[in-house]
Amino acid sequence: MLTVKHLAKSYDGEKKSLTDVSFSVQPGEVTVIIGPSGAGKTTILRSINQLIRDDDGEILFDNTDIRQLNRAQLRQARCRIGMIFQNYNLIEPLTAIENVLHGCLGTKSNLAGIFSIYRNREKEEALKLLEKVGLAEFAYQQCRNLSGGQKQRVGIARALMQQPKIILCDEPIASLDPKSTITVMDILRDLATNDGISVLINLHQVDIARSYADHVIGINNGQVVFDDRIQALSDTAIASIYQKDANSEGSVVHEF
Amino acid sequence: MIKPENQISIPTRQPAGPRLSIPLRFRDRRRVTILMTLIVLAYITLATLPTMIPSHFKLGTALTSFAENIKIMFWQPHLANTTFITLLGALGQSILLAFLTTLIGSVLAFFFALASTRRLAPTYLVLGIQSLMAVIRAIPTVLWVLIYSVVFGLGANAAVVGITFHSVAYLTKVYADSMDELSPGIIETMQAMGLKKSAIIRQAIIPYMMPSYLSWTFIRFEINFADAIAVGAAAGAGGIGYQLFMSSSFYFNFHEVGVMVYMILAFALVLEIISYRLRTATN
Amino acid sequence: MNSDVQQVTNFFNTKRLRLSIILVIFGLAYIGASIGLGFQTQSLLNVQAGIAWLIHNFIPNEASQGYWNEIIQQLFRTFIVAVASTTCAAVVSLFLAIIGAQTLTPAITVSWVIRCLSSLLRNIPIVAWAMILLFSFKQNDLTGFLALFFMTLGFLTRAFMETIEDFGTEKIQALQATGATYLQVIFQGLLPEIAVALMTWILYMIENNVRDATLVGLLTGTGIGFIFNLYFKSLRYGAAGLVVLSVIILVVAVELISNLIGRLLS
Repeated sequence: MLTVKHLAKSYDGEKKSLTDVSFSVQPGEVTVIIGPSGAGKTTILRSINQLIRDDDGEILFDNTDIRQLNRAQLRQARCRIGMIFQNYNLIEPLTAIENVLHGCLGTKSNLAGIFSIYRNREKEEALKLLEKVGLAEFAYQQCRNLSGGQKQRVGIARALMQQPKIILCDEPIASLDPKSTITVMDILRDLATNDGISVLINLHQVDIARSYADHVIGINNGQVVFDDRIQALSDTAIASIYQKDANSEGSVVHEF
Repeated sequence: MIKPENQISIPTRQPAGPRLSIPLRFRDRRRVTILMTLIVLAYITLATLPTMIPSHFKLGTALTSFAENIKIMFWQPHLANTTFITLLGALGQSILLAFLTTLIGSVLAFFFALASTRRLAPTYLVLGIQSLMAVIRAIPTVLWVLIYSVVFGLGANAAVVGITFHSVAYLTKVYADSMDELSPGIIETMQAMGLKKSAIIRQAIIPYMMPSYLSWTFIRFEINFADAIAVGAAAGAGGIGYQLFMSSSFYFNFHEVGVMVYMILAFALVLEIISYRLRTATN
Repeated sequence: MNSDVQQVTNFFNTKRLRLSIILVIFGLAYIGASIGLGFQTQSLLNVQAGIAWLIHNFIPNEASQGYWNEIIQQLFRTFIVAVASTTCAAVVSLFLAIIGAQTLTPAITVSWVIRCLSSLLRNIPIVAWAMILLFSFKQNDLTGFLALFFMTLGFLTRAFMETIEDFGTEKIQALQATGATYLQVIFQGLLPEIAVALMTWILYMIENNVRDATLVGLLTGTGIGFIFNLYFKSLRYGAAGLVVLSVIILVVAVELISNLIGRLLS
């Protein structure tokens, strides 16, 4: 499905943000990346759809290396990779359904994008997805009026609109209250189990990882230090993942 | 608060046949307002643009001559009727004029703002002062200077008073607006401790306002510099503006205009650098 | 204990000292600038003389009523020039700002060129614009229109660019992640989000340009500025007062309308 090999990235040319990261993601599974702040979790996720250009390595998605694609091909590939964000990144003045429909822009012409021309089939699909995330009655609400949990669910519906094979989730619950956290995680879990979508999540919270993940990847200081089924995640493994590294100054773990 | 929807609801009811058209949004006020405003603006512009071009007007000739003058200005600047030292002095005068009017304006405006912020002043005072300031603001600076030049005679007094008028009106509004943004809770807390108004102003309002006070005052200084030039040209109030007016409409010497424009741009560049520094320093 | 008290006292003393120094510097600068300009501070106390003169002489009298027709006509032209120049400049600025904003620019050099251009347009004094244009385009509305257009173009490009940069890269990336193209990102993401801010800038600029149009008119001999100058120089103060009154009404009306639109947008 998705295989990452020997990924490396450095922002300033000297200090390595990622050094030789390799892992793979299976269809229908929830894979969680955990690790201290600044370990490189976000860099990994954003390298997968090339929002960040990495320096070295291979990212095989459906057996093609995403890093070798040209601009048009990359957009084609991105169409099949959904992404949700900590800050939701919805277009706030637009309604929920408009934001969901943004998910199918990748398959449409510039003109359709400029004048908001969508097919009825797409509109129905968008409504169905909003219903799926429990927001059918909010379809015509401006996103600025929604709560954080609701916004994140619109974000998920937007990602689903892309008919993705994989969904990348960058700290999806870091800004949410406990109740919304459970709602959002339940939806993501269900997408993997029932729809066979791969879900790759950056997380802070180990306890959430325990109750939702199939597979865990531990990252510390730009390196993979743990890569196994969730059952193998022992307390000592967690301690080693969150171990303070001598090389990175000030990497205090202040997670909740 | 969010609604407690713990499990996702897979839709059970079937859609009743294919819907022909699903709207993307209901009519919302913001969108309608923007659309209407844009339509009105576009209509005014498109309907009147052609009427602005006078009959028997040779656009080509005008454009060529315009391009020619721009070229003379920027590529061949040199002086004929005046010396560089004179111009430097004139530029200095314009800068002093801008400085003085900003200084007087910001002090006066601060007190007017205190008397017209909703956080401190009664409503009638707020409305009274703000309306008065709106009327003063409505009269262009040049007109103020022209009016005062009849009373005081042509010269620095009229220019300073005229530009100050506009500065006070402008700064009062922006200062009062930034005071209004202060959360009422802060002032309530101070009042609950039994502080007098003067103490609240000194201990709460001034510290909170200082950054925006400084940045607005600086913006006004930039505006006043531009106004000082304009007033010099249009009301004969001296400074580089007057020199600019003489060279361009009396001697028709665009080489000389070029020199002055470069001098003004140089000072504007200094101001931009300072404002950039201020912005990065406060962040 | 005692040294702690001392420390606090010292803290306040330093603060007070710094404040005093700043005040003294400004005081000296004020005196210096006054001398340099030949400005007499007591004229500030004579402000009421100007107001009194204004009220006394500018009261429109019987004779000045005859000027209404001309004034209204010129006022209308001035308003139209202000609106048209702002609208045209806004369209061009939006385009320049999008390709110039650091978050959306196709190349960083493009961004710098546009930044410099907008700074140049903004800082060339409107007097210079008016005079150069007057020389080539002669005495008509087009000259005023173009002078305001260039100034506004510089100003709005900068303002729009900052608005777009405030929008941030995160939301742009979120749309790019769905595979959307550059144009789709702009029309579906950027424009809906910043539309209100853009509108506010445009309205502010129209307000400003109505005032500046008077100045430009004065310099180029067109519109309301020209007839004010005409009446004023020929000592027809009643008629000049009428012009001032009409400008006040126009500017306040524009401000009220733009406040109303602002409220509808919030």
